[in-house]
Amino acid sequence: MLIQLSNIFKWVQQGGRRVFLLKDINLEVEEGAFISIMGPSGSGKSTLLNVIGMLDVFDEGKYNFMDEPVHQLKEKHRSALYKESIGFVFQAYHLIDELTVYENLEMPLLYKKFVGSERKALVADMLDRFNMVGKKDLFPSQLSGGQQQLVGVARALIGKPKLILADEPTGNLNSKQGEEIMALFKQLNKEGVTIIQVTHSEKNAAYGNKVIHLLDGRMEKK
Amino acid sequence: MYKTYLKIAFRSIWKSKTFSLINVIGLSIGLSAAFVIGIMIYYDLTFDTFHADKDRIYRVVVDTQTPEQEGHSKGVPVPLIESLQAYSTGIDHVAPFFLFGFDKVTVESGLKEFDWPEDVVIADQEYFQIFKYQWLAGSSNTALENPYEVILSKSRAEKYFPGKLPEEVIGNTLIYEDSLVVKVTGIVAEFEERSDFTFKEFLSRESFRNSEKYGYIYDTSWGSINSSTQLFIKTDKFNSKVAVQAQLDALAEVHKNEEMAALGYFRSFNLQPLKSLHLNDNYGVFDNSSYRASADVLFGLGFIALFLLLLGCINFINLNTAQSTKRAKEIGIRKTLGSSKKQLVIQYLGETFILTLAAAILSLFFASLLLRVFADFIPPGLSLDLLKSPMVILALVLLLILITFLAGFYPGLVLSQFKPVAVLKNQSVLDGDKGRLRKYLTVFQFVIAQVFIIATLLVGKQINYLVNKDMGFKTESIAYIRAPSVNTSLEKYEAFKEVIKAVPEVKKLSIAGDPPASESYSGRGVSYFSEGKETHVQLQLLYGDENYLDLYGIALLTGRLPLNDSISEYVINETLMRQIGFQNPEEVIGQQFKVNNKNIPIVGVMEDFNQSSLREKIDPMAFIQDTQNSTLHFSFQANDTENWPLAIDKIQTQWKEFFPEETFNINFVDEDVRKFYSQEQRTATLLKWATGLAILISCLGLLGLVIHTTERRTKEIGIRKVLGASILQLNLLLGKEFMLLVGFAFVVAVPVSWWGMNIWLQDFAYKTALSWWVFLLSGVSLMIIALAVISIRIFATANTNPVKSLRTE
Ligand SMILES: Nc1ncnc2c1ncn2[C@@H]1O[C@H](COP(=O)(O)OP(=O)(O)O)[C@@H](O)[C@H]1O
Ligand SMILES: [Mg+2]
Repeated sequence: MLIQLSNIFKWVQQGGRRVFLLKDINLEVEEGAFISIMGPSGSGKSTLLNVIGMLDVFDEGKYNFMDEPVHQLKEKHRSALYKESIGFVFQAYHLIDELTVYENLEMPLLYKKFVGSERKALVADMLDRFNMVGKKDLFPSQLSGGQQQLVGVARALIGKPKLILADEPTGNLNSKQGEEIMALFKQLNKEGVTIIQVTHSEKNAAYGNKVIHLLDGRMEKK
Repeated sequence: MYKTYLKIAFRSIWKSKTFSLINVIGLSIGLSAAFVIGIMIYYDLTFDTFHADKDRIYRVVVDTQTPEQEGHSKGVPVPLIESLQAYSTGIDHVAPFFLFGFDKVTVESGLKEFDWPEDVVIADQEYFQIFKYQWLAGSSNTALENPYEVILSKSRAEKYFPGKLPEEVIGNTLIYEDSLVVKVTGIVAEFEERSDFTFKEFLSRESFRNSEKYGYIYDTSWGSINSSTQLFIKTDKFNSKVAVQAQLDALAEVHKNEEMAALGYFRSFNLQPLKSLHLNDNYGVFDNSSYRASADVLFGLGFIALFLLLLGCINFINLNTAQSTKRAKEIGIRKTLGSSKKQLVIQYLGETFILTLAAAILSLFFASLLLRVFADFIPPGLSLDLLKSPMVILALVLLLILITFLAGFYPGLVLSQFKPVAVLKNQSVLDGDKGRLRKYLTVFQFVIAQVFIIATLLVGKQINYLVNKDMGFKTESIAYIRAPSVNTSLEKYEAFKEVIKAVPEVKKLSIAGDPPASESYSGRGVSYFSEGKETHVQLQLLYGDENYLDLYGIALLTGRLPLNDSISEYVINETLMRQIGFQNPEEVIGQQFKVNNKNIPIVGVMEDFNQSSLREKIDPMAFIQDTQNSTLHFSFQANDTENWPLAIDKIQTQWKEFFPEETFNINFVDEDVRKFYSQEQRTATLLKWATGLAILISCLGLLGLVIHTTERRTKEIGIRKVLGASILQLNLLLGKEFMLLVGFAFVVAVPVSWWGMNIWLQDFAYKTALSWWVFLLSGVSLMIIALAVISIRIFATANTNPVKSLRTE
């Protein structure tokens, strides 16, 4: 089992009251799954994704990632864990403006301490695969939104993660660009990468093999 | 990894050019001050550090304790030399030397004459046992053993015997003062390292053993001290300092003057380590005229450097924490990609280091400018070349690293704390940060700038007060000319005086000693008996003829001038009169002092006046008629300086006729008075610069913060403008918070500078008032400067088209 969330609660203290962002989330994700999270705005989708991605903490419950108890891990260990196994794709791409396409792709490898020749090879592979060889020296601001998101996906993939977390990856794209990204996800999933995406569109959700509905931080039984 | 760091660093430095520039300029100003001051300190701390066994070398000095004060002398009584040579234990070498100013030396072979040879000492072979020179000819073992020998330094040998090799110079003859014939027996290389031992001619002491003219070189009196008689010793290999000191104490006890001791005058002989020779204000180095380092001055300079550096670092911290939101996104992404906090902090420190390095390079340029500005403080021989010495380079590298940490660590830490989730959700990342630290630091900057301004104004005010305060005698339009020290009879000088008297522009003349106020002091202890009680008074003596007091406008309150110079009679000042217990000048006339069993009557009382700088109080003083120290004092007819050059020309022409060999040197009394305060003038110059730089750095920082605020609030400014706010209203709104900081800094600076200036003023017997208006003035001026800086930027922002700024948001 890749991910096992049981009885996850997350809240914030507001005016002396607990405001729940996540309520009693129970979720199991097998390796190779392609899951879509849906729900109205403010229902807690991003929060859940961040908890799964270990970017955010939760207040109650248990979370096992590849049978490691995330809630008990030290910060250092946890960061090593997600660095190794998770790739993020964001709605707003979140590329580093000061770096070129090539350098953006290279960055996760730097943090994983790949040596220079390996980095070169991996980045070249990615550029090839996404047909971006000609654009490698451009800065993000010189690319269209769809191209930027392609770089974002490529960057998430470059460390060969087991899991890709995508928060509305097509939210800022037009429908054609969106479809390309979704096709890409489908392809990756076939190759064995587990994907969890947040989306508003039924059409995009249909690319996956399971849909989770959130409302006010609670999973709806379907 | 480091390559991308470097790339990111350069690109983000470039992206925020304005802020980078402000940071670099502010820091480089601070750094350049630190460089210059640093090498000045280094220069003075590295004198005579190269001598072998330097820890075993001491100078014997004399400290005196009187009921009024402590005294320090670098000179020792001559018999002390012989005593230590004869009986001491624990001492390997006893090396006396006598600084001596000969009028001329003749090189016999070519019959060439050189006037006033400098750096001449009379020494014996022991000197060369303690201080190891490289011998180019001759040898330290036989040096100065016999009478009539001289050792020359390389440069001096080249001057006297141009073109000759050291071996060829040996055996040549030099004649001092036409009578003392000596033979060159050695040539030594001058020390290449920094040293106060810059002597160039060493005459053997033996040459003077039976000389009457130079009798003091074998003086036998324990009572007299001459500061040119100096004694160095080298202790044995156990460095038996304590044992040596005990012997010195015993000698001081045996040879104490019982009479003086009864009056509370004590004298002790002490050891001054070689390493404190250069920086000890109490004793001075060798002669007083050469450049002297002062530990106090170095300390003050060090403080200024530190403050300027701090100001630069504060700009860094302030601008970078303020700008951190701009970096937040990058930080957030890096964190989600697996960067640790440590990596982020290191990356940030790296960027800071690049900027620091850039500032350091720029500051080398500024430093060469500053070296010129500080020229008055800077000893000859100090230049930026010192930056090349390994110690300095090491210190520089450490300084740069330290600054990097000071300036970069906190902003780096702030940045690395950002929560990636918050950043990526575009929430405010600085929830907790209300910029409080930034405010404190800005206040701190302006406190420093404000204190500097107040100090500059008050030091200026004090100098102004000192220079313009009535000294109690006439200082304007009076000049004096010293008689040549050799070959002048009083008759000849009198004749010279008569000729000058005939110059129409000259009004009054007098032949006398020093002017009423001068740096020199001649005094004597006298006794006064009244009602069976003896009072001992140390009084200062003023010598002059019957016209002297009149020339200087010093009023005789009662009595008369001394009759002539063959009998001793005193005209005393009011301070002396009061000191011996009289209030009414009439009553003191006819009282007598006792000096060496001779009675000297008081024949007149003169007004009090200041006899030296206004740092000192008025001393008890007596005027005696005596023209031995012949100096011609005279006043000009008119107070306007227009026709002075003409008069001076005439006087100079006469001088040439009377003394064709001698250089003509005229001194003006008011200039002398101003020179009393050259130290203060230098402090003032330095303060002005420090103030200017402090204001500059602080205002750069302020400008940066204002730019940041206006950038952050562009949208708000736009909305307000659309809603009808005037530019003035916007200015007020945005400027208010900054002006509050500057105002608060003023409130802190006032007591700090008041306290500091009080301490500084303690050195002066006469002080200017710490007037409230000075504080107010400096506060207002800083406010105006700050306001100008703030307004420029705010006006620019407020003037932009609001629609534009709203659209880009
Ligand atoms: N740190 C927080 N403090 C308070 N409220 C939060 C915080 N984070 C998220 N929320 C709130 O929790 C709810 C869920 O947010 P989010 O997960 O971003 O929703 P979604 O992605 O489904 O639109 C929203 O109402 C949001 O305002
Ligand atoms: Mg969301």
